[in-house]
Amino acid sequence: MVLVIAEHWEDVLNPATWEIVVAAQQIAQPIKLVVLGAEVPTVVKELSGVDIDEILIVEHEELAAYTSDGFVEALQQVIQQQQPDLVLLPHTYQTRDFAPRLAARLDRTIITDCVSFKYHEQKLVFVRPMFQGKLYADVIALGAMPHFATFQRGAFSLDLLRRRDGPVTTKEVTVSIQREFIRQQPGQRFQEAKPEIDLGQAERIVAVGRGIKTEENLKLVSRLAEVLKAEIAASRPICDAGWLPMDRQVGSSGQTVAPKLYLAVGISGAIQHLVGMKGSKAIVAINRDPDAPIFEVADYGIVGDLFEVVSALISELGD
Amino acid sequence: MRSLASWEIELKRETLEVDVLIVGGGPAGLSAALRLADLQKRKGGQRLVIAVIEKAREAGAHILSGAVFDPSSLNDLIPDWRERGAPVETPVQSDKVYFLTDRGKIRFPFTPPPLKNHGNYLVSLNRFVKWLTTLAENEGINVFSGFAGVEVLYEEKQIVGVRTGDRGIGRDNKRKRRFEPGVDIRAKVTILADGARGNLTKSLIQRLLLDEHRLPQAYSIGIKELWEVPENRIAEGTVVHTLGFPLGFKNFGGGFIYALSGGQLSLGIVVGLDYRDTMFDPYVAFQQFKRHPFVSGLIAAGQMVRYGAKVLPEGGWYAIPRCYTDGALIIGDAGGFLDSLRLKGIHLAMRSGMLAAEAAYESLEINDFSAARLSRYEELINKSSIRRELYPVRNVHQSFSYGLLAGLAYSGLAMVTGGWWIRDPLIGHAGHKRLAKLESDYPRRSSLSEPLASTVTVNRKTTFDKLTSVYYSGTQHIEDQPSHLIVHNTDICRTDCYHEYGNPCLRFCPASVYELVDHGGDSGKQLKINASNCIHCKACDVIDPYQIIDWIPPEGGGGPNYEGM
Repeated sequence: MVLVIAEHWEDVLNPATWEIVVAAQQIAQPIKLVVLGAEVPTVVKELSGVDIDEILIVEHEELAAYTSDGFVEALQQVIQQQQPDLVLLPHTYQTRDFAPRLAARLDRTIITDCVSFKYHEQKLVFVRPMFQGKLYADVIALGAMPHFATFQRGAFSLDLLRRRDGPVTTKEVTVSIQREFIRQQPGQRFQEAKPEIDLGQAERIVAVGRGIKTEENLKLVSRLAEVLKAEIAASRPICDAGWLPMDRQVGSSGQTVAPKLYLAVGISGAIQHLVGMKGSKAIVAINRDPDAPIFEVADYGIVGDLFEVVSALISELGD
Repeated sequence: MRSLASWEIELKRETLEVDVLIVGGGPAGLSAALRLADLQKRKGGQRLVIAVIEKAREAGAHILSGAVFDPSSLNDLIPDWRERGAPVETPVQSDKVYFLTDRGKIRFPFTPPPLKNHGNYLVSLNRFVKWLTTLAENEGINVFSGFAGVEVLYEEKQIVGVRTGDRGIGRDNKRKRRFEPGVDIRAKVTILADGARGNLTKSLIQRLLLDEHRLPQAYSIGIKELWEVPENRIAEGTVVHTLGFPLGFKNFGGGFIYALSGGQLSLGIVVGLDYRDTMFDPYVAFQQFKRHPFVSGLIAAGQMVRYGAKVLPEGGWYAIPRCYTDGALIIGDAGGFLDSLRLKGIHLAMRSGMLAAEAAYESLEINDFSAARLSRYEELINKSSIRRELYPVRNVHQSFSYGLLAGLAYSGLAMVTGGWWIRDPLIGHAGHKRLAKLESDYPRRSSLSEPLASTVTVNRKTTFDKLTSVYYSGTQHIEDQPSHLIVHNTDICRTDCYHEYGNPCLRFCPASVYELVDHGGDSGKQLKINASNCIHCKACDVIDPYQIIDWIPPEGGGGPNYEGM
């Protein structure tokens, strides 16, 4: 049995949880999903129609706000009752806070920050990046079950989420948590400098590099993004110059993306940029320089003046 | 500038009181810390509170050296280093010195005595420093990594500690949500071990004129790559030094190739930052070095693993500033304790740290931290192996300013005369003053084998463009912070500098930090500083001909990651 630990905030499920459900659906059945909180009916409603086998509801007043002590205490009891073979979590800040402790408390293995899985000689193998994404390590969990694994955001596409008719059965699980166990006092919720857009979720991205020369030319490329219904992104020099906000930067000091289509316009392909987008399904590059490194990762390359090419694309795709 | 004053009103700065503060967790700083802990243990008495601050996020991440390691100081500091697992494992087996011509090589008939490395070891200084840090932590020494010293704290003329950098300042110089003010670490003795051209030592020397009656410090830049090559290409423990190509006869410097264990190769060049040709680019020279048949044969089909660069002090004995003042001592590369003839400084850095620890300990015993009392450090140096090693070669670096042959001739002679020469000391110039203006040097430039040393085609297998190399340095900075490279007057870039020197910053920086961008209009190109590319080598601070670049530490933790270097 695979147990998915859901994460939610004020009655809304963290979208990363959906991706973990996709992962679970691909790895093994049956799937149970556990939701913790003081009152969680709205969250549970959101989950109806998803192809999983059971939703475990853990309600306790000490779980009203997230604390790692509370979560570890409750989840330890849930896992001991349910005896799953595998516990899956999204690799979020919250998971990073409590999951290692939970695994240690149960004396079980945890593999964090995975990007995919595979089977090798009937063993489940997790794949996780190392050395800033330069290498991918295949990791097999040792020791007694359950094993814990966390997956990076964007590792599984929501398109593959399996649904089914009818509600999912729910079951309440009681846990006991003593107030004095909880040593943390939740403060104000940390708000990450909110990216205006989560590029990691974009299906199509049109990215610009210094080849566009002037800020003025951004308009043309933005128009292409519009007709492609794509998000616009950029390499570092563009954001550094302030032509686009920093949260649209792709690369080692920006976001990592893996859209279905990545159209690189005037991007030479410095390695700092490539590490942020090389996982894209289809990469199209437009560049004047036939020796630009971007062509080494591109599936389709167009050598030419980007203004001509982009204008032609717009008139072909537009309207 | 940041409006500091207005902050101070509402700012509650934390203060930390220690007995001894050491700025910089390199071999010098850690040796000082370990020796202090050792003295305290041997002599008993109250436990000393010792703190080391290090700007790198992790111990050793900003350290870079060849490195051939002379274990003499380590033998004294930690006699049982072998048992305690020092990562000092590859003894030097053979020394070779070559003069490289454009395509070939001529082996020196004998290895000059200073380059004989029998009894020395090839090490990764990164691993060595990590190991020292662990030892220090086990001794109860507080090593704070990720904290840079940004300001020396004075009370009257007494130095009373160091302020660490603020965190969470945006590019607009405003505080971000997660602002955290720096901490004032107050100490009875502050030991500055902030490395070659360290920012605090630089400010101290300027303010207190510690380099009065000394020669200006001369620097070189070392550029290094770590390679993994097919095994058995070169015997483990082989040390190769080269002269000649691509630096020719006029530029001070040479190449090095060290064969570490497991098919790892450390290779690089060292170039004096006192070259005359403003079009010269040390990084390009390094790529040319790798294209030389001798070198390319060694690295073909190999994999470059890491890249790095940093400056090193080569001025020698006469360029060492006064290293003591009220409340503070200067050690290691910050003080210029490096033997440029033997190409070694780690053991001298460690020794200077150990001697500083002894002087500081004596001061602590009698609670007197005046310059007069701390001058004991200089006394100890003068009686130590540091002087015995550096004094006889005191004029070596300066002699090379007359060219490679003059330098070699002098170096040979110095062994006979004990360093004496008709003129002693030889005249030395700050490197940036030797850079020639375009019209005065062109078209006479001829020493370089390629028409323009600033361009080189790269094959992305053994030679790389600068930006790719920056990636391999592992450098990372928070983008949203003020530039930590302060250029005091950027108008000069498009006016005087453009005409006089052709913007050498584009070339002397081995990390593509400086860039000229054309925004259209008549104003010409404007300087753009890509501070997040910086690998903390400090070449710009040294060689900028107008001396208007100040390197200051970025937000703590930023910088390269010299894992395994």
